[in-house]
Amino acid sequence: MSDGAATVATDAPAPNPFAMIDGDASAMVCEGDVCFIPGAGE
Amino acid sequence: MVDATRLSRRVPSGVSAVSSDDRYATYLGESRRSACSSELLGIRGPMHPFALIVSEPIKIDIWSDIACPWCYIGKRNLEGGISSLGDDAPEVEITYHSFELAPDTPVDFEGSEVDFLAKHKGLPAERVHEMLDHVTGVAANAGLDYHFDTLQHTKTLKAHELLHFAKEQGRQLELAERLFRAYFTEGRHVGRIDELVELASEIGLDTGAAREALESGRFAPAVQADIAQAQAYGINGVPFFVIDGKYGVSGAQPREVFARALTQVADEKAA
Repeated sequence: MSDGAATVATDAPAPNPFAMIDGDASAMVCEGDVCFIPGAGE
Repeated sequence: MVDATRLSRRVPSGVSAVSSDDRYATYLGESRRSACSSELLGIRGPMHPFALIVSEPIKIDIWSDIACPWCYIGKRNLEGGISSLGDDAPEVEITYHSFELAPDTPVDFEGSEVDFLAKHKGLPAERVHEMLDHVTGVAANAGLDYHFDTLQHTKTLKAHELLHFAKEQGRQLELAERLFRAYFTEGRHVGRIDELVELASEIGLDTGAAREALESGRFAPAVQADIAQAQAYGINGVPFFVIDGKYGVSGAQPREVFARALTQVADEKAA
C-alpha cells in the first residue's frame, strides 16, 4: 500500500436506495447503545 | 374475466396461503414455506391453489438485533399490521438480517441493564429506570412482556450466527421470536453457545448441527455481509424494514403504518 495515496473519507452517509414510507416520526430505533430515547440518538 | 392476481391476495380466512402439503413445499422451497404470513398469524389449513401459481410474496427484509427492544416491538407491530388486513393480507416472505448494535459488548457483562446503560450513556440510574419503564410500557401495549430486571446483557454475534443457521434450515422466523422472548421476557443468556443451542432445540432445530454451526463460526461471514449491506444502504438504526426491495420503513412503526405499506405494495404488484 502506498503511504502517499490520497485518502477519501468513507464515513459519509450512504445514499438510501429506498423510497421511505412516512409513518410515525417518533417511532423508536436503536443506534449503537442508544435504544431508549426518542429521536434516534438522543 | 377473473383477475387471478387479485385472487391471490384474497385468501379466505383460516386458509393458509402456503400449504404444509409437501408437494407445494417442494415447489416453494423451504425458506418460502417458513416465511409466510400464514405462519406469522398462526393460520393453518389447506392450500389456496391460486396463491401459489400466480403470485410472488411480498418480500420483507428486516435489519434488527436481538438486543434491540424496539426491534421486538416493531416485529410485533408488523405482525399486527398483517393480521389487521384479514382476508386481504398479502402473502409475505420475511427475512431477518443481522445488525449488531454494540459489538464491543462482552459476552458476560457483569451488572444489570441499568448498569450497562448508565455506564455507556453516563446517565443517572434514575433516568435509565425511567427510560426502561417507558419501553416496558410500550412493549406491553404491543402485547410483549419485558423484564429488564432479569435481562442478561450480552454480545449478540452468536445469536446472529444462529439466525443464519436457522434461515438455512427454514426456521428463522421461529428462532427470531424465540430469541427475542428469551432475551426480553425470560432473562435467558443469548450470548453463550450452550444456551443458544438449547433455544435452537426448543424450536426443533438439530442440536448437534446448531452447535457445530456456532462453534465453527461458519455463519460469521453471513453476519458481516448483512452488516456491510446495511452500511451500504445507509441504515444506521434498527429496526429497519425493506419492503419488496423498494420501500424503507424505519423504526418500530405502529401496525397501521405496516398495514398501509403492505396494502400499497400489494396493490402495485396487482396493477
